[in-house]
Amino acid sequence: MRTPRALRSPGGAAGAATVLVLVAAGLLAPWLSPYAPDFQQTGAVLRGPSAGHWFGTDDLGRDVLSRLLYGIRQDVIIIVLAVPLSKAIGIAIGLLATTHKAADVLVQRVLDLKLAFPTVILGAALAAFLGPGFSTVLIVIVISGIPVTARLTRTAVLTERERGYVTGARVVGASRTAILVTHILPNAVDALVVNFVMSAAGAVFLEGALSLLGFGIQPPAPSLGGMIEKGLPYLAEQHWGVLAPIAVLTGLVIGLNLLGDALNAALRRG
Amino acid sequence: MLSYFIRRLPTAALTVILTSVVVFLLVGLLPGSPASVILGEQADPAAVAALEERMGLDRPLLWQYTDWARGLITGDLGASYVSGAPIAETLGVAAGATVELALASLVVTAVTGAAFGIAAATVRRRVPQALLRGASALIFGVPEYVLGILLILAFAITVRLLPAGGREPLLADPGIGIQYLAMPAIALGLHSGVVVGRFLETELRGQLEEEYLDTAHAKGVSARRVLWRHALPNALPPVITVLGVRVGHLLGGAVVIEAVFAWPGLGQVLANAVANHDYLIIQDLVVYFVVVFIAVQLVSDLIHASLDPRVRLDGEA
Repeated sequence: MRTPRALRSPGGAAGAATVLVLVAAGLLAPWLSPYAPDFQQTGAVLRGPSAGHWFGTDDLGRDVLSRLLYGIRQDVIIIVLAVPLSKAIGIAIGLLATTHKAADVLVQRVLDLKLAFPTVILGAALAAFLGPGFSTVLIVIVISGIPVTARLTRTAVLTERERGYVTGARVVGASRTAILVTHILPNAVDALVVNFVMSAAGAVFLEGALSLLGFGIQPPAPSLGGMIEKGLPYLAEQHWGVLAPIAVLTGLVIGLNLLGDALNAALRRG
Repeated sequence: MLSYFIRRLPTAALTVILTSVVVFLLVGLLPGSPASVILGEQADPAAVAALEERMGLDRPLLWQYTDWARGLITGDLGASYVSGAPIAETLGVAAGATVELALASLVVTAVTGAAFGIAAATVRRRVPQALLRGASALIFGVPEYVLGILLILAFAITVRLLPAGGREPLLADPGIGIQYLAMPAIALGLHSGVVVGRFLETELRGQLEEEYLDTAHAKGVSARRVLWRHALPNALPPVITVLGVRVGHLLGGAVVIEAVFAWPGLGQVLANAVANHDYLIIQDLVVYFVVVFIAVQLVSDLIHASLDPRVRLDGEA
């Protein structure tokens, strides 16, 4: 693992720090939030920033800062659930492709099918038939991450398999599964870590996009994308209601991208 | 080239057919029949049965599918079961708006991509170079829809220069139309411009290090001419392919940007159809989107091959 070295580059360190601070803020939401995320203060609708409400209040008189913290929490929960699941399925499919010629052809065709499907369109189809909400967002993120991971795994296994140490292991009588699990996969881990970080950035981006179309997490539960969608009609009156979630969402995406780039660079340098 | 096209066609057709089957079967995910979902839980059972008959749900699945697929091919899409409006007409009008937005953003992508790529590959001084890198990294990290909202805040709310949303067809009144089109097209196209610019930069740097350019320099060709007449034409073909991939990305991104700018295109039709349980429109749109996506990929492969004689499409292209 070259992870620690990646953190020494300025970009990697800045990215990691941004992500760490935002995620910590989200996880500590119940303790940091001045109000409950759905508490409506009567008569305090679309107020600008003040001592009591740092980022003001939304159209229903709810504290923007509190909703923001809980919104980060929601996005973190989605990442933690969806991205590993997506990677696991992707790795399994990638491994399947390396077992048999026929399996490979089938897997490639299925992945082509997914790649012909714009992710947002997939989201629309699922939102229409499953209903918009948490599970739709989750499924879209899981599906959208599968093709790249599967191809990455497939390529890694095919290259590693030709290396001398694998032949050596085979000569001393190691089984195919043993070689795959103890020798080949650990060598593919680095590439998958980069892929994981990039997918997390993609997940934050997608949650926002799906919310803007009305396919995302439904109110009253706060999410970053949901706050942007609901705040947009009031952009002129209370722009903090939109700017705050936008800043956090962009910070997360850029932070994760920086971290991914730094990991990738450290990996290439070997 | 024709043989390449003919060979790719079965795979493309198979992808479209598989998509249409999957999309057709998605109705099975609904809790209950589509008719009962459209009419709501308290609907009169007789009305539900009548709508089911009108939708053809009482007939065998295979017949339903072939009828629907025939409609997709002939363009005879029928009327919406929710609003009663003819679907082909709704999609036609919205497609015009989306194509206008996508083409405009493609222009933004091509222009900014060329500018970014050429500048990044040729500017040598450190400060401008660092500024370019910073700007491109920032734009790359900011999602299109975020850029769109920031543009609205800056140029429609803070400075009242442009309308925050809506559309006036560009061909009907170019002077007014461009005011509505400018912000969504920039929001959508700029991100792809940076991506294209990065590719162009890499290709251009590669070309500028080639030995044939040393020859050109040696025989006294000006640096400007070396760039524009020799390096750039040779760097372009792979960039064209990337541009083709971005067209697909722009079409997908247009769906979200339309929501931000209330642009009355296919994305808005799709979002409204999801909100109103208008399943037929959603199914039609998804299949059409996939057809366009595949067509764009095919065409950009063909353009790449025609620009670069080294690419043989009959092998592993």
